Amino acid sequence: MEEAELVQRLGAYAAARMPQAQDVAVTEIARITGGASRQTYRFTLVWTEGGEARRRGLILRRDPADSLIDTERRVEFEAYRAFRGGEVPVPEMLWLEEGDTALGSPFFVAAEIAGFQAGTGPLWTAPYQENLPALGRRKWTILGQIARADPTALGLAAVLPATRAEDVWLRELDHWEGVLDADETEPLPVIRAAIRWLRANPPPPAQKVAVVHGDYRTGNFLYDTQGGIHGVLDWEMCHLGDPLEDLGWSFNPVWYFGQGKPGGLLPRDEAVAAWEAASGLTAAPDALKWWELFACVKGQAIWVSSARTWLDGANRDPILVYPAWALIDAQDRAALKVMGHL
Amino acid sequence: MTPAVSQVLADLAGRVARNAAPNVPAADRAGELGLSALLLGLAAEMWDGAAEILVQENADLRALLAAGAKVWGEESRRRWLEALAQGRDENLRLSALQSANGELKVALIALHAELERRDDPAAKALESQVWRALVAASDRRRLSGSPV
Repeated sequence: MEEAELVQRLGAYAAARMPQAQDVAVTEIARITGGASRQTYRFTLVWTEGGEARRRGLILRRDPADSLIDTERRVEFEAYRAFRGGEVPVPEMLWLEEGDTALGSPFFVAAEIAGFQAGTGPLWTAPYQENLPALGRRKWTILGQIARADPTALGLAAVLPATRAEDVWLRELDHWEGVLDADETEPLPVIRAAIRWLRANPPPPAQKVAVVHGDYRTGNFLYDTQGGIHGVLDWEMCHLGDPLEDLGWSFNPVWYFGQGKPGGLLPRDEAVAAWEAASGLTAAPDALKWWELFACVKGQAIWVSSARTWLDGANRDPILVYPAWALIDAQDRAALKVMGHL
Repeated sequence: MTPAVSQVLADLAGRVARNAAPNVPAADRAGELGLSALLLGLAAEMWDGAAEILVQENADLRALLAAGAKVWGEESRRRWLEALAQGRDENLRLSALQSANGELKVALIALHAELERRDDPAAKALESQVWRALVAASDRRRLSGSPV
């Protein structure tokens, strides 16, 4: 869909959702690059209400022709909505559209949280560099708060598929091994060995069935220069599961960004301490190791799917090639490291 | 290197040409060209050594499979490993080397799983060799900007 058509159709959609408004229009629309599973746009909505001109910065997240990660739009929308207003900072959700009529594919519209960084590029330079430990403590404190949250009280138990504490590891491993089986473009001896180890050495049952963000890493939250976090983003892989899954994912060595510590932010023991204090849970080393290695399998499945999506041809976005080229060997190395071979 | 460098470069050529048009929105152009530049940089780094990496890796894999044929008692598996171990990389096109590499890795995965199931010294010694070969292969493929 050309940009002019997108602007027109999005404006018409917004007008229909705002019966009190006149002269509704979309302006200043710009694609935000970097997302492989959703197309994200920043835009300004302008309208007149009660004779007064108004404007608001908004975000559009739309499914591409062939998404990298197959998830339901509603899951992501409801996860954001569930945490809105609580201690976990998230943007305000406005509209969810699950049909193809309005914009050609499902989408949601959210309020923009302006003035902060999300990408990792500026992190290790001034003025951000000075407050990396504070940012790290904040990052793992928020993750602990997500783990501590009650899925039923949040309303997410009604939206996300149920699971049992003793089964969560098997469900997740089966799922991501299945993705590898379906999408693998070349044999992966390291990751297949990791899967055999994971099956032979299952973790203990989850301490609780918690909300799992699913992609909690540096780069998926909005941060400021002082170590503050103002919005946790990218909830599209949110599910119910073992809270150690998120902690293990955040410790995936590919998210060290070459800085020698988790997330490129904080020594591992300090990150664990912040998470334990906020969650009220324990990160037993053996259980955490299992979820760290699982994170390597899940990561590799996502990078492999990226290559597969590009090769199948429905979506030739160059962002899909980057993980396939830059991260598949790195993810193998991460798995070798977690297994003690590197 | 999947997708193949040649395929990606062909796609990037078309993408760069499209972004030369004056009516492309500035933010879209910046995003597409920035990503294209990133991929061109990766291709430049991978391209020169790609054939050598695959030839060396295939040689290592064949040596492991030859050793595996000596410890795997099951006849059909032994013959499978022996046949693969006797192969040679006569066609040096990346696509041919990659195809041979895939076939060898399938056998390595099967051999590795068999070695893990056993606890005799010969199997355990070869399992250690497999891990060393996997680390060496990963070292050879490691990009300068690799996070690990």
